Amino acid sequence: MNAVAPGAPLLAFDRVAIHLGGREILSPTSVEVGRGEFVCIVGPSGCGKTTLLRAAAGFVPPTGGRVVRAGKEVRGPSREAAFVFQDYGRALLPWRTVAGNVSLALEAAKVPTPERPARIARVLQTVGLAAHADKFPLQLSGGMQQRAQIARCLAQEPALLMMDEPFGALDAMTRESLQDEVARLVRESGLTVLFVTHDLDEAIYLGDRVIALRAHPTPDKPSLAAIVQVPIAHPRNQLETKEHPDYLRLRRELYQYLGHH
Amino acid sequence: MAKRWSVIAKGSAAPVLLLVLLELYARGPGKSSDALAAPSAAALAFFRALGDGSLLEATGFTLASAAVGLLIGFVGGGLLGTWLGLSRRAGRYGFLTVEVLRPVPSVALIPLSMLIFGFGLRMESSVVAFATFWPMLVLAQAAARLVDARLLEVADALGLSPLARLTKIVLPSMVPRLFVALRLGVAIALVVAVTVEIAANPHGMGYAIMIAQQSLDPALMLAWLFWIAVVGYAINSAALHLQRRVALVMGGVA
Repeated sequence: MNAVAPGAPLLAFDRVAIHLGGREILSPTSVEVGRGEFVCIVGPSGCGKTTLLRAAAGFVPPTGGRVVRAGKEVRGPSREAAFVFQDYGRALLPWRTVAGNVSLALEAAKVPTPERPARIARVLQTVGLAAHADKFPLQLSGGMQQRAQIARCLAQEPALLMMDEPFGALDAMTRESLQDEVARLVRESGLTVLFVTHDLDEAIYLGDRVIALRAHPTPDKPSLAAIVQVPIAHPRNQLETKEHPDYLRLRRELYQYLGHH
Repeated sequence: MAKRWSVIAKGSAAPVLLLVLLELYARGPGKSSDALAAPSAAALAFFRALGDGSLLEATGFTLASAAVGLLIGFVGGGLLGTWLGLSRRAGRYGFLTVEVLRPVPSVALIPLSMLIFGFGLRMESSVVAFATFWPMLVLAQAAARLVDARLLEVADALGLSPLARLTKIVLPSMVPRLFVALRLGVAIALVVAVTVEIAANPHGMGYAIMIAQQSLDPALMLAWLFWIAVVGYAINSAALHLQRRVALVMGGVA
């Protein structure tokens, strides 16, 4: 596709720092995300994880350092990188049906009209919304609205999927089933995912790697608290994975990093 | 259904009583009044005006002038307001001009527009256009500013072109507030059109009610008053109906 060496990271944070109102929220942080990797960023409120993700998407420039995607510095949003917002209710066009919302991604990408219905049907099938294509967002439950937003992002055919606490507003049952579905469709499509959450369990359950950020960085305690590899094979399972010794060990380890400054 | 009729019957009790009292007064103590006429006499005058075609002709003129003026005011004010709302810089440049011109009472423009256009539809609709332009501009500007920032980020993330962003995100988001503006504009347009006819333009419903008054024909004057109220109610209902239809198409948004 472009002149990036194979094995080069798809996304690289190069000493990215974030200041808000003169205060350092995120101290300079360098992390790389490889192609096909599922990376979770976890941390308490106010640690800058959402701002970091928004900088990676190009919505806001970082106040220090730079974000490099596919070998180029990120200077604005790109169709190559899809973004799933937490507040699905605001991110969907309420005057368009589910199919219409998915279609928006295809219209933006100038996909010829005759090709659209088949592609819409395919992504809706993937997220399990095939039966609800003609419903308006307000007629759907929160979980289904979030599926619709994910479908729109998939229709964009991005290389990178960024998710900002996508399941934070959903009930526990819906959250678990959506976690499993996202894990499945990411495995099937080979997408690279950057996933922000404040839920340690979710981060370990989904991630190949977990980046833990702490709030209120100081010179001897920078924002980047830990990066841990999750050595648990896919596909994972809500019951067995969460009883896996590695899972429990990582959970304890990360909890200590984040829980005690 | 029976319940609905009962509601209507209860709601119309007071107006019917008033009509009966007015009828009794006009036939008794107010027999020689130049201001009041019996409702029955007004009804007769109404059907005479309907029969000789003057009712429909005058109504047509007033509605056409109001519609042409409102169209210009709504489209012009709406587009300019959208632009001022979307571009902060344009908003800053336009702010003073808008605030100076907006408070000019539209009817004060009647003499000027009479000089430019003479009597007739163009003069009347130009005043209506001026009167509706400013509220449309201000409301459209507010509507454009209030488009959800999240949706604009969605547009950025999907890589929509500036035109697609306007037609697919910004304008549909503005629809509910534009309908508020439209319904306000409809009311203003009718008021201003009738006012221009009463004050200057020798056409339409306003002129007809003036002529009835000046020829000491209170029955015809009241007939026109009643009819103007009916027309006002009808076009407001039509605007409301249109809003509901659009809301239905837009998934309950407007």
